[in-house]
Amino acid sequence: MSNKQMLDGRGGFLARLNMLETLVLAGISLVAIAGLMLVGKGFYMKAKAEVSQVLLKRSFEAQLHGVPNVKPWPWADFSTEAEITAPRIGKTAIVLSGASGEALALGPARLANTPAPGELGTSVIAAHRDTHFRWLKDVKPGDLLVVTRKDGTNLTFRAGSSRIARWDESGINADAPGRNLALATCWPFDATEQGPLRYIVQAELVSDAPQSKLSALPRPVQLPVKSF
Amino acid sequence: MFVDTEIGAATPRRQYTPYVEYLLVAALVVVTIMLFFVMGFFSEASAETGQGRPQHFAGYVHPNDVGTGALLFPSKEPGSFVEAPRLATDVQIDVNGPILRTRVTQRFRNPSKGWVEGTYVFPLPENSGVDTLKMQIGDRFIEGQIKAREEARKVYEEAKAAGKKTALLEQQRPNIFTNQVANIGPGETVIVQIEYQSSVHQSGGEFSLRFPMVVAPRYNPDPIVQTVDLDPSSGYAVSDPVPDRDKISAPVLDPAENAKINPVTLTINLNAGFPIGTVATPFHATDVQTVDDMARVISLKSGSVPADKDFELSWRAAAGRAPYAGLFRETVDGKTYLLGFVTPPADEAATETTPKREVVFVIDNSGSMAGKSIEQARDSLALAISRLRPEDRFNVVRFDDTMSVHFPSLVPATPDKREDAIAFVRGLTADGGTEMLPALEAALRTQGPIEPGALRQVVFLTDGAIGNEAQLFDEISKNRGNARVFTVGIGSAPNTHFMTKAAELGRGTFTLIGSEDQVAARMGELFNKLENPAMTDIAVTFDGANAQDITPNPMPDLYRGEPVVLTAQLDGTSPAGKLQITGKTGDQPWRVEMDVAKASQGNGIAKLWARRKIDDLEANAYAVNDAATLDREIETVALTHHLVSRVTSLVAVDVTPSRPAGEPVASTDVPLNLPEGWDFEKVFGKKMLPEGQRKASLDQAEEQAMLVADRMAAAPTARAASLIAEAGNQVNLPQTATLADRYILIGLMLLAVAVMAASTFGLWRWQMRGLILEARSRVQ
Repeated sequence: MSNKQMLDGRGGFLARLNMLETLVLAGISLVAIAGLMLVGKGFYMKAKAEVSQVLLKRSFEAQLHGVPNVKPWPWADFSTEAEITAPRIGKTAIVLSGASGEALALGPARLANTPAPGELGTSVIAAHRDTHFRWLKDVKPGDLLVVTRKDGTNLTFRAGSSRIARWDESGINADAPGRNLALATCWPFDATEQGPLRYIVQAELVSDAPQSKLSALPRPVQLPVKSF
Repeated sequence: MFVDTEIGAATPRRQYTPYVEYLLVAALVVVTIMLFFVMGFFSEASAETGQGRPQHFAGYVHPNDVGTGALLFPSKEPGSFVEAPRLATDVQIDVNGPILRTRVTQRFRNPSKGWVEGTYVFPLPENSGVDTLKMQIGDRFIEGQIKAREEARKVYEEAKAAGKKTALLEQQRPNIFTNQVANIGPGETVIVQIEYQSSVHQSGGEFSLRFPMVVAPRYNPDPIVQTVDLDPSSGYAVSDPVPDRDKISAPVLDPAENAKINPVTLTINLNAGFPIGTVATPFHATDVQTVDDMARVISLKSGSVPADKDFELSWRAAAGRAPYAGLFRETVDGKTYLLGFVTPPADEAATETTPKREVVFVIDNSGSMAGKSIEQARDSLALAISRLRPEDRFNVVRFDDTMSVHFPSLVPATPDKREDAIAFVRGLTADGGTEMLPALEAALRTQGPIEPGALRQVVFLTDGAIGNEAQLFDEISKNRGNARVFTVGIGSAPNTHFMTKAAELGRGTFTLIGSEDQVAARMGELFNKLENPAMTDIAVTFDGANAQDITPNPMPDLYRGEPVVLTAQLDGTSPAGKLQITGKTGDQPWRVEMDVAKASQGNGIAKLWARRKIDDLEANAYAVNDAATLDREIETVALTHHLVSRVTSLVAVDVTPSRPAGEPVASTDVPLNLPEGWDFEKVFGKKMLPEGQRKASLDQAEEQAMLVADRMAAAPTARAASLIAEAGNQVNLPQTATLADRYILIGLMLLAVAVMAASTFGLWRWQMRGLILEARSRVQ
């Protein structure tokens, strides 16, 4: 529409259009508005994911330092579970509990039917491939993943193989022996469709690393708050 | 296409211009519509790809499909299981007043020639817990022992490291009992015995119990059973993608034939605690023996077990107007446990007038209710509003992180007000956070005084996803006044703990609605309570006996069709004294006294007390600052009474008595050297059938076993079997792609189209102007 104003260059442009032309213009503007709204919605989802992580991080840290009843924002109705860090890639994210669509929009989430990280069995943390787990494709076998639980326990996992599986054929057994972690996100990474395939990174608890309280450790490498 | 229209527009003939304009408009419309189609098409396509693959072939089952105790083996179809042939089932149920104690013993066989790891699954009734697990696998005996969670884990790890057979059961899902059974050798039999405690269901003066007996869907000929996958939190419902299911369905077993192959024996010792009027078993033929006017022994007639019906037993009290109270006791470890119950009048006419009601409905429409939950909540609430009578008054409050009260104050429930409120409820969508406190305050404090003679009721529909429980409990206990707070739990995983406790503090009841099809039935039960309060202000005192713990505390109101059951722990093995229960029916005071010494003996009372004690402790967690202390208290009670809880687990350890060297390994069918106190006799039973029939049924059993063996994924070694089992027991992953990128992409495409169209339009206008100017100059 700006083109027209440029072309015309004078006021009263609309007044000189006949009815059909007005209709045509209205149609064009409708398409443009729909486009703008969709773009806006897309960016809103991304912004929500980023901003919520910043707030979550703040409340999680307060929680670690023993402040009771911290909430990332006043009406939040979920709990933060842990912080996951990939030191080599320099990414970190706050993990929520229960992977409902609502929680996943805000951060990675541990599936409610799997144990907490560090407990016996396989803990599964899932997150969106286009926001919080965008970095999952960069995790290589042998990478260390540090999980700080809300009770302050620091756990180190070593990433093993990664694979691609259907959502209903994950091959992940929550009760499998050992203390394992599986990170899952959607695959392929660059697709824009919601598909049935998932990318899974398996990780094992590094047992020789002492499970120490966070307070006993110097603060880990200062990592960027932004985590996407 | 724009190029074409441009050429058309370029024709230097004035009269064609409108035609060209029409063309342009049409082109734009077509483009727009196409775009919408493209978007619509994509979203549909993604919905399709989200669906699962064929999962429920006939003959294959999922743990959640199981309608009775079953041993499942991994099948060749990944993610599905086959049922092990059930050789025998014995059920013994003891009914003690409102307590049920059930012992199920089942014998299964591994029909294949390989090793396999199975999963024993038993669908438990609500509010019940397994406390005993005994197994025999081949020639090994395994017994579940209650240990503190951490300790159980240690035992498990140690046993596993030592290469022993072991299993660990932790409390994860409340109403399905599952337990891995490892290392079942070729042709071995497996015997599983579990004992659980539950309570009698009561509704409208009828007492009933139900034992799950529906054999898995494969025996169900016509209906296509649609199931939701095992994982309750993922929310994936897998649709049935097999169009020609009838053709591939497995041989259907005739119920009568099934009874011969899977013999079931069932005995119920019914000790109702009151004179029994009628006893009925609607779906099965039974023999009923009368012991005295309060007791019956019911047993299943042999060979009459329909495979598609759960066993149901119901009994009614002989007619009587006064609430009937009963008292039982059990002595365990030097302490006496009492169970008293008060049954409301069996006669409908006892409650003549129903008082006026003032109802405040509070509905949670926060984001956590999104999806099925809000639908169920809307349906339930609409139903509740439509049940109000014109003389009742009501109001509706909805809340997320904001809240609004529909009417300025309580309004009479006239038809148009009801319509208005229902329309308001129907229009609610779930979004935002959960701020429950202001809504609760609005419901409890700002609705004006209670009219004389009216009943104030607050009905709270929520999934209870909140963090400030303590504040809410505080609000309820301080400000409820004479109001009663009823909570309705919505969705598959509501915070039952919060809602049970809130209802208890509010002297109301908690109703759980787990799925769409339960709305009508469960809400119906709630309406009965809301509309027919039977007894209020109930208090319990012990006179002359030292009662330590009375649960529940405080006593809730008594509603028609619902008993109040109290349990108490007393010092000493032979306490004396009197138990007094007082209450009010309307304005009429009521009081009953029972002599503790005269209480009749009952079993399982200590366990019931312990279970309630644990519930009470859990419910009071909000008042305890120190979580460790609470855990210790729960652990002590759970360990003493052998119950699985949040902090205690069943760990199965090998208790096989050592076999003297040289003694041959006996046939797996005969249990030699049973550990002390074990009783598997019933499932080995006498051969009841005449020889000919028995042979025929054995042939059939063999045929069925072959079928199962064919579908099983058996392994040549025990190690491989456990790997197969692990592969089958998998976690479903949630959808982890947002549509953000797609939205941005489509949005940009639309913008590009708009820009293109706009510039074409501009160009065309500009050309037209040129033409018109040219024409004018020619005319001049």
